[in-house]
Amino acid sequence: MGKFAVLQFYALLKREVLEHRNIFIGAPVVVALLLLVATTWIAMQIDQSQLAEGLRFVSVLFDGLSPLDMAPFVMLLAIPFYLTLYVCSVIYLINTLYQDRKEMSVLFWQSMPVSNFQTVLSKIVAIVLVAPIFYVLIIFAMYLIAMVWLTILGISSDVDLVGIGYLFLAAIASLVLIYISTVVTGLWLLPSVGWLLLFSAFAKKTPLLWAGGVFILVGFLEDFIFGTQFLANWVASRTSDPNQYLIFEFQSVFERVFNYDTLFGIVVGSILIAGAVFMRRFTD
Amino acid sequence: MSNIVEAKSLTKNYGSFTALDGVNLTIPGGAISGLIGPNGAGKTTTLKALVGLCDVDGELSVAGRDPRIARHKLMEDVCFIADVGILPKWLKVSHVIDYVEAVHPRFDRKKAEKFLSTTDIPANKRIKDLSKGMVTQLHLALVMAIEVQLLVLDEPTLGLDIIYRKEFYDRLLNDFYDGNRTIIISTHQVEEIETLLSHLVFINKGKIVLDSSMSDLSDIYTEVLVDADMVEQADALQPLYVRKLLGKKSYTFESVPREQLKILGELHTPSVADLFVAKLKEEKHG
Repeated sequence: MGKFAVLQFYALLKREVLEHRNIFIGAPVVVALLLLVATTWIAMQIDQSQLAEGLRFVSVLFDGLSPLDMAPFVMLLAIPFYLTLYVCSVIYLINTLYQDRKEMSVLFWQSMPVSNFQTVLSKIVAIVLVAPIFYVLIIFAMYLIAMVWLTILGISSDVDLVGIGYLFLAAIASLVLIYISTVVTGLWLLPSVGWLLLFSAFAKKTPLLWAGGVFILVGFLEDFIFGTQFLANWVASRTSDPNQYLIFEFQSVFERVFNYDTLFGIVVGSILIAGAVFMRRFTD
Repeated sequence: MSNIVEAKSLTKNYGSFTALDGVNLTIPGGAISGLIGPNGAGKTTTLKALVGLCDVDGELSVAGRDPRIARHKLMEDVCFIADVGILPKWLKVSHVIDYVEAVHPRFDRKKAEKFLSTTDIPANKRIKDLSKGMVTQLHLALVMAIEVQLLVLDEPTLGLDIIYRKEFYDRLLNDFYDGNRTIIISTHQVEEIETLLSHLVFINKGKIVLDSSMSDLSDIYTEVLVDADMVEQADALQPLYVRKLLGKKSYTFESVPREQLKILGELHTPSVADLFVAKLKEEKHG
C-alpha cells in the first residue's frame, strides 16, 4: 500500500467522521454530559458528610487490587456508552450508503477515483475501529473531569487521595479494555454490519424496514420450508448474552477472535459486504 | 485523434421504460460535443453510462476503458459534473478541496485555489450556504484543477442566471479546453453552446438521431427561405422540415446539394436549435 493510498483512505475516514459528527462525537459527548450532570445532581442531594463517607468507601473499595485488576469493574461505568455506540452504529450503517443516493451526492463521490470497495471498507473501518476511539477519548475526558471533581471533594473532606488515584489508573486501563471490547464485538457482529450495509446500498426507500422485513421473511421461509430455525437461533445465540460484548481481560482476546463461530460470522459478514459493494455500483 | 468514446448498442431499461434503445455513439478525442435531446430522451442515462454510474448493456469504451468494470480507474482520466447540487451539502468548501486533493492523483490544489480566488466563495462556508451559481463555480474550480482527458457535463448550468452561465462557458473554453481534451455537454440551452461545439449528437426516445461533426452539418443540412413562387419546387425536393417565418416559408433540407437549392431562395446553415426541431419532427412523422 503506497503513501497515496494511505492518504486516500485517511481522507475517506475523515469524510465519514465529518459527515457523521453526531454519531462519532455528538452522541458520546451528550451521554458524558448527562452522566456528569446526573452525578453532580445526585451529589448535591446528599449531605456533605455522607458524600465524604461514600468517597472514603470508594477509595478503599478495591484495596489490594492493581489498577489492571480493577479495570473490569470500572469498565461497567461505560455501559451507557456501549449502548449508545451500538444504537448509533445501526443508524449509521443503515443510512450511510442510502443517504448518498437520496441526496444525489453519490454522483460526486463516484466521480472521484475511489472504488466502491474502498468506500464501503472505509465505512466499516470508521464505525468498527475509528468510532470507538472517539468514544474512548470522550469517556477519558469525562473521567478526567470526574477525577478533578473527586480530588477537590477529597481534599475538602480530608479523604486519602491515593485510593482515588488508583481508581483513575484503573479507569485508564479500562479504556483499553473498552476499545478492545468494541472492536472485537464489531468483528463478532460483522454479519449484522454486512446485512445493514447491504440494505443501505439496495433499498430505494426505508432501508431499515427492508433490512428487518427481509430478515423476518427469510426466517419465516426457513421455518416454513425446512421446518428449522437455524437463522433465528444463530442470531439469538449472538445477541442473548451480554458477556459476548465485553472483554474483561486481555488474555481472552485471542480466543474470542479465533474461534469457529466468530470466523464463520466474519465469512458471512464478508459475503454480505461484498453484496453491498456490488449494489453500490448502481446510483439509481 | 482517435475516438475517446465508442459505444455500440447501448441499452438500458427502467422497468418497462426504455431509456436507451441501442445507442451507437462515437466521440472523437479533442472534440467539444453537445448531447442534445428533449426531457426523458436518455441524455443523463447516456452520460451516467459513460462515467460508470449506470449499468447498461452493450459495448462501451471510454478513454480505452470499460466504465462498468473500472469506474474508479476511469475517473482518473475523466471528470463529471451533473446538474448543480451534487456536491455534498454538509461539507465546507475547504473540506471539499482537501478531499479531492487527497483522493485524486491529478488534482492541483494551487490551481483550484487560484480559480476560487477570482470568485466570492468563502473557504469556510458549507456548500448548503452557497448559491447555486457558487456551487457550480466551486465544482468547476475542482474540475479545472484536475488534469483529465475527458470532461462530462450534464446540464451544468441548469438553474443559473445568464451571468453565471456565460462565465461558466467562458472559463471552460479559456481555462480547461486546450484542443486535446474532450468535453461532452448535455444542455437544454442549445443556443448558448452552439458556437462552442465541434461535434453534435441528438438523442430522442433513447435513440441517436444525429451524430455528426459541426463542419459536416453545413454540407448536409441547408435551410432555405423559399420565395412564394418557388414553394411547389421546394416541396418536390422532400424537405426535412417546413415552418412559417415572417410570412415566408423556411425549408430545411438534408443531403440536397446547395447548387440545386440556390434557385429556391436565400440559403443558410440551420441553427442547432432549428435542426434539432427538424430532426425531432422527422422522427415523429416517420
